[in-house]
Amino acid sequence: MAVRVNPDFYRKLKKFGGQSATQCFHCGNCTVVCPLSTEEYQFPRRFMRYVQLGMEEKIKHSVEPWLCYYCGDCQRLCPRQANPGEVMMALRRYLTTTYDWTGLGRLLYTSNFWKLFFVGLLFFVTLWVVYTFHGPVVTEHVELETFAPAHIVHPVGYIFGTLLAVLLLSNVYRMYKFILGPEKISLPASVYLEELKTLLLHFFTQLRLRMCTDKSRWIKHWLLMSGYFIAFMLVNIDMVTRWSLTNEPPAWWHPAKLLWTYATFAMLYATTEAIIGRLRKKEPIHQFSHSTDWMFLLLLWPTIFTGLLVRIFMEADLALPTYYAFAFHLAFTVPLLGLEVPFAKWSHLAYRPFALYFIRLRERARAMQQPQMATEAEAQSA
Amino acid sequence: MAKKIAVYLCSGCGLGEGLNLEALAKVATKEYKIELVKTHPALCSAEGRQLIQEDIEKEGVDGVVIAGCSPRVNTEVFDFGPNIIVERVNLREQGIWCHPPGDEDTQMLAEDQLRMGIVKAKDAQVPEPYKVEEISKTILVIGGGLAGITAALEAAKANYPVVLVEKNEELGGWAARLYKQVTLKPPYNQLEEPDIKDRIKALQEKPNVKIYTSAKVEKISGAPGLFDATISTKNGTVTERVGAIILATGAVPYDASKLEHLGFGRFPNVITTDMLEEMARQGKFVRPSDGKEAKNVAFILCAGSRDPEHLPYCSASCCVDSLRQALYLKEKDPDTAVYIFYRDLRAPGQHEYLYKRVQEEGVIFFRSDNTQIEEGSNNRLVIRAKDVLVNEEVIVEDLDLVVLATGMVPTTALGEMIVVGAEEEEEKGKKEEGPLVRPDVYFRCDLLNLEYRQGPELPTLKYGFPDSHFICFPYETRRTGIYAAGTVRAPMDMRTTIVDATGAALKAIQCLELTAQGMAVHPRSLDTSYPEFNLTQCTQCKRCTVECPFGALNEDEKANPLPNPTRCRRCATCMGACPQRAISFKNYNVNMIGNMVKAIEVPEEDEEKPRIVVFACENDAYPALDMAGMKRLQLSPWIRVIPLRCLGSMNLIWIADALAKGIDGVLLLGCKHGEDYQCHFVKGSELCNYRLSKIKETLDRLALESDRVRMVQVEIMDWHKLPEIIEDFAKRLEEVGPNPYKGF
Ligand code: SF4
Ligand code: SF4
Ligand code: SF4
Ligand code: SF4
Repeated sequence: MAVRVNPDFYRKLKKFGGQSATQCFHCGNCTVVCPLSTEEYQFPRRFMRYVQLGMEEKIKHSVEPWLCYYCGDCQRLCPRQANPGEVMMALRRYLTTTYDWTGLGRLLYTSNFWKLFFVGLLFFVTLWVVYTFHGPVVTEHVELETFAPAHIVHPVGYIFGTLLAVLLLSNVYRMYKFILGPEKISLPASVYLEELKTLLLHFFTQLRLRMCTDKSRWIKHWLLMSGYFIAFMLVNIDMVTRWSLTNEPPAWWHPAKLLWTYATFAMLYATTEAIIGRLRKKEPIHQFSHSTDWMFLLLLWPTIFTGLLVRIFMEADLALPTYYAFAFHLAFTVPLLGLEVPFAKWSHLAYRPFALYFIRLRERARAMQQPQMATEAEAQSA
Repeated sequence: MAKKIAVYLCSGCGLGEGLNLEALAKVATKEYKIELVKTHPALCSAEGRQLIQEDIEKEGVDGVVIAGCSPRVNTEVFDFGPNIIVERVNLREQGIWCHPPGDEDTQMLAEDQLRMGIVKAKDAQVPEPYKVEEISKTILVIGGGLAGITAALEAAKANYPVVLVEKNEELGGWAARLYKQVTLKPPYNQLEEPDIKDRIKALQEKPNVKIYTSAKVEKISGAPGLFDATISTKNGTVTERVGAIILATGAVPYDASKLEHLGFGRFPNVITTDMLEEMARQGKFVRPSDGKEAKNVAFILCAGSRDPEHLPYCSASCCVDSLRQALYLKEKDPDTAVYIFYRDLRAPGQHEYLYKRVQEEGVIFFRSDNTQIEEGSNNRLVIRAKDVLVNEEVIVEDLDLVVLATGMVPTTALGEMIVVGAEEEEEKGKKEEGPLVRPDVYFRCDLLNLEYRQGPELPTLKYGFPDSHFICFPYETRRTGIYAAGTVRAPMDMRTTIVDATGAALKAIQCLELTAQGMAVHPRSLDTSYPEFNLTQCTQCKRCTVECPFGALNEDEKANPLPNPTRCRRCATCMGACPQRAISFKNYNVNMIGNMVKAIEVPEEDEEKPRIVVFACENDAYPALDMAGMKRLQLSPWIRVIPLRCLGSMNLIWIADALAKGIDGVLLLGCKHGEDYQCHFVKGSELCNYRLSKIKETLDRLALESDRVRMVQVEIMDWHKLPEIIEDFAKRLEEVGPNPYKGF
């Protein structure tokens, strides 16, 4: 099939940060040096050409962008400063908006106006809700649950969480359609279930990041990821044991509290490091920051920090500061989760492990077809 | 002739141990009656040199034979001024280093080499430089484009008067028609106003420069230092006496009407590089079909170039020109989609920065062969090509303009093609016999109009470019004192042209200065000998005037050769060609080499010591023999090496001399000839080969086998093959058997 060259795609990708793609002269150094590129899934050089020629369909149906973990070796060695790692990153941004059927993702990625608008909206609406619906304010000592009754906060939180999960999974389904749809694979449901182990393994470990030359990135990322996960679990546990949203907080050595301390500092360290890195621009991954990268960090860091403040004020039994900190904590959390998880950068928490899951499905499907093909060939030759 | 010859034997470098020097000394004293024979442990030392110097001063020695190392080393040490003949006998590199020391055969070889050295010194005379009264040191530059202006300016800066002839009304040529040029300084990727105007101004300000515009060279007669150029100008015809000439007439774009397969002439919106340049100067990029602005533009590179049907060579600047033009489009409107279809993007040197910049601007490149073009609706063009990177056919549609990067044709390739066969007079009608000499090709391009017997323009090397040896001697044309510079010499870009023109100016100056001293210009720079013609012996056979590879000889009405010594390169091809032995140099002539051959002692047949004379070209074969020695390769003991200026100087009489004396075989080692020749004198080795085709008669007359003469082409890097080449020949001679003339 002949390729129709489409200059508009490149113009479009500029908005996602992929403008350096035209600088590539296809020496192939990047693909050779990439620790993650394989015989079957070769990148990034090939994708530089797809971008140059505007082969949008090909890119839409590709899984490779999710296999790149932006270790940046290619970028360091590109003789043309074509920033192949950043182009792969731009493709992930572009794919994120393509998977998203609501169109919100595209607005967030391509327009600063809409970005500010939605963040501001969720931020101020949350503050307004807290301001309007909070419970009685006890100032003698901290009574957080009186201020924010758990029987309201928790259910609202669950509804919110479910909504996000549905949105995200619907996008994952579109991703599945793009990547595996054209192949029309048919597999028994058991295989889908079996391979969930791949999904979970990579979700929890990000093992592929360990294949990068610089192993410290994996450690940092894992710190962050474990922090998220523990924080997420602790929020759920709060329903049962009430270690946090309560008027009678347990002592400092309560396991939930200890875990929580770990999560906070792990996340604080990793995000602070990322912010400093992006300001210093030393590592390839931090050289080029898209506005959405800053949006993510500038929501995440205050979320963690206000969470820490809530804890400190509670321990110090400072009532009003606790309530204020709590309100702001929520005001940062809502846009962070509401925008980042289904529509923007944080969605990669699903796309990356799912990409590997889909590849496994593809391999399984091929393995099942092969004996069939072999017998067909035999039949023909006979 | 040297009045008093002295022989010096060096016992250093193992020569004292490896050879019997006393016996060698006896050869000189007994056989040649030389009184002064001295041995010294290191002749190249200060005392060694002093010893010789003293003999020259006190004993009146004027011929020095030094037996020791190769003449290719210690040349300055053993230079005793222009009036002393120095003959070096190579006993080290070609003696004990490639033959077993202490061996009887090695000793015999050394003795023969010494005999030949003494004979040569005896027959040599001190050359007197050919000096012309009132030689002109003016440089004529033909062509007033970038190359011509640069060459003229550089020559003028060095205080040489310049006459510049430009055919157009204005100076500047191609460079003056540019919209913008790419910066010649870092960062090498910006567009700037062409600086040709500044160069013209600088030239016009020089006091010693005479510029004729709307002018043309009608006729050039004479020789380096003495050229008379007749120039027709706006104000009538003038004659200028000049010393050297720089041809900088440039190139023209390949005729696009021959590129119909790329749509030119078929589709209105297919244009050429020149046409786009003109649009840029007008400030508007528009579709010729309807005058609407062009928003999608593609370039097709190598349009006509690197195509055996059109121009077989790379035109060297079209890649870079297209990159520059792509930048015009992007600077005018960054949203214009620009595509470049190339075969290999040749942006050498600093042009890489330009290439990168153009990529940064978003121009899309396609490496593709077989680019096809069609017209769609509304005169929009469609290009189809196989993209080697995605290994698929790519289609670019909706193109408003397609620019063909047409290649360049040198101005020397314009006009009727003339083929001059060196063997024309003799070979007519019997082409199959023997190897032919490649004919010379030139075009009636009406640029120089030389009054040379061998044609009015420069012979071309390939594809109409007037080069003579693009690797070893890039500026030299086949006419001494005439240098081609810029795109007329080879396809090149602006930066290279500037360097090229500067180099040509230096070459012209070198020619003037050496000619003034009566010395050869190239490649035997500083040589003061030149061919002398004994016309009483001449039978007007024209061999010399036909064969001189450099057109140095004219003819008078009676077909007598008319030498022009300042055109001559001292290759002695004429000497080799002359059947009458009428041509000789003071220190190199037919009798001298013949006497050397005769000085070789030929043992009786029953001694079973065959003898082989090796005539080795001084430029490659002789140094290769030295190198074989340096690497201690062992050579057959039967050889006796005689260096020649060029195999072109090989006179058949020497072969007859050798065989008549009982020498068993003659081996000729010369440079590669033919299409990709390496011969320093362009056709010398080829002409030698051609002459050998006629040796058969001589051999038949002597009733000898033609296998006794063999010619082998060696280049300097073939040194390692020499043992085999020689051994192989020796074996063949063994099969043929000893020369029956031994002992006669
Ligand atoms: S290393 Fe750079 S120039 Fe080379 S193929 Fe990769 S991106 Fe292109
Ligand atoms: S950033 Fe790393 S993983 Fe991604 S393409 Fe480059 S080398 Fe490969
Ligand atoms: S310079 Fe470029 S376009 Fe011109 S002939 Fe050479 S390779 Fe082709
Ligand atoms: S053949 Fe050689 S030596 Fe003889 S005139 Fe020509 S250039 Fe001079």
